[in-house]
Amino acid sequence: MTGASIQSVDRAARILKALAAGSPRLGVSELAERVGLAKTTVHGLLRTLERQDLVEQDAETGKYRLGPELLQLGNAFLDHHELRSRSLVWADTLAERVGEAVRVGVLYGRSVLVVHHVFRPDDSVQILEVGATLPWHTSALGKAHAAHLTPERRRTLLSGPLPRLTGRTLVDPHAIAIALEEVAQAGYATEDEEAVIGEGEIAAAVFDHGGHPVGAIGVVGPVERLQVAAPPEALLVALTDTARRLSWEMGARRGRRGAGIHRSVAPAARR
Amino acid sequence: MAIGESKRRSPARLDASFVARWLRASAADIARNRDHLTQLDAAIGDADHGVNMDRGFAAVLSMVDSADGLTPGELLLQTGATLILRVGGAAGPLYGTAFRDAGMFLGDRSTFVLLDLVDALDAGLRGIIKLGAAEEGDKTIVDAWTPAVRALQRARSGEPARATRAARAAAEAGSVATTPMEAKKGRASYLGPRSVGHQDPGAVSTALLFAALDRAAR
Repeated sequence: MTGASIQSVDRAARILKALAAGSPRLGVSELAERVGLAKTTVHGLLRTLERQDLVEQDAETGKYRLGPELLQLGNAFLDHHELRSRSLVWADTLAERVGEAVRVGVLYGRSVLVVHHVFRPDDSVQILEVGATLPWHTSALGKAHAAHLTPERRRTLLSGPLPRLTGRTLVDPHAIAIALEEVAQAGYATEDEEAVIGEGEIAAAVFDHGGHPVGAIGVVGPVERLQVAAPPEALLVALTDTARRLSWEMGARRGRRGAGIHRSVAPAARR
Repeated sequence: MAIGESKRRSPARLDASFVARWLRASAADIARNRDHLTQLDAAIGDADHGVNMDRGFAAVLSMVDSADGLTPGELLLQTGATLILRVGGAAGPLYGTAFRDAGMFLGDRSTFVLLDLVDALDAGLRGIIKLGAAEEGDKTIVDAWTPAVRALQRARSGEPARATRAARAAAEAGSVATTPMEAKKGRASYLGPRSVGHQDPGAVSTALLFAALDRAAR
């Protein structure tokens, strides 16, 4: 059973999550209502969190907001993330090579967390998507990762909620299951306006020393350029080549799975 | 003047010149608000909504200028095709579908009444919803377009100008109401709670289109 001290950690975490969702500043009563605790309890927790710089109080309104230490924690999470660290250089090179934005993502629970994002190299304004979470089935990163999971974990993913983000999102578990089979066969996953209208993504899984998927790297951009239904061969070669090299860095043995597109493409012939 | 009075008269006929006036006014409003739309988009998107919409509506404008003898429906269909081709991003396919579906609804009739306009714009809305799967409250175009269609439907038995004035106000209010929303659809949804506090650029451009519709009806 949960002891008193663990319960308070749980409550503190709920307060932080309440502050992170929706309105950026909340008063003690508003917070107490949202997490379902007494005002005095919430007040005590807030003071403790404030001493750790995890929350801060607005001098004028007396309301609370998230504190600067959380950014340090978030950054530390990214800095210590092995796939992200190892992908920094590879993602840059891939973005240069194909002239599109590149994202690296990892499946956590039912979402893909974007751990790295390289802008399309054209000087246009773009928003950094590091930290964004996407429902796994709406993302090529998620499909690429999921396609190589054990059948049992795939079934778990397919049996949960599959929200619709656009009219093109696949929401039928059977259709997604078939798509995942195709991804495993082809060595890459695609997403065609299934998360955002006008945008598509092509991604390939990255593997560790045990041959297990640890995430995926993908090229994301306007559907008219990516031609997701039949991607340009040069793009596929560059992508799978990058995923393979990244896998080697993650300790994957050469010649094992994740070794590229399993079609009549000779990666060496292209560059 | 009173609504009861207008009911007894035969309803005002709208024609291709009305649609052309609407499209010209839309192009002018989008051009005037280009930088504003881009600034809004810079907060929660790629900062290209103003530029993309302006490029698309400039192309629509030259299409209207060279369109001779097109029916109202054909004008809207051409607008849809032009926007899909020229705007890009999410706005191109979404607005393109809306105008195309509205045009298909009007078919090849040469004149139409307010009731048809209401149903055509409703068909456009349904096209947007089918493609984008967005609902009201998701912080998208739908949040301005839906209340505008609802206002038109309430005023559908009156004078066109009265109905379009109500739709204009409803779309404007709908676009303002997107500011406190958390984006649930589109790229802005990647920002999660950080999208709160910014007006949705798509809802604002929709409000511009309904303001232009109102000017065309006067």
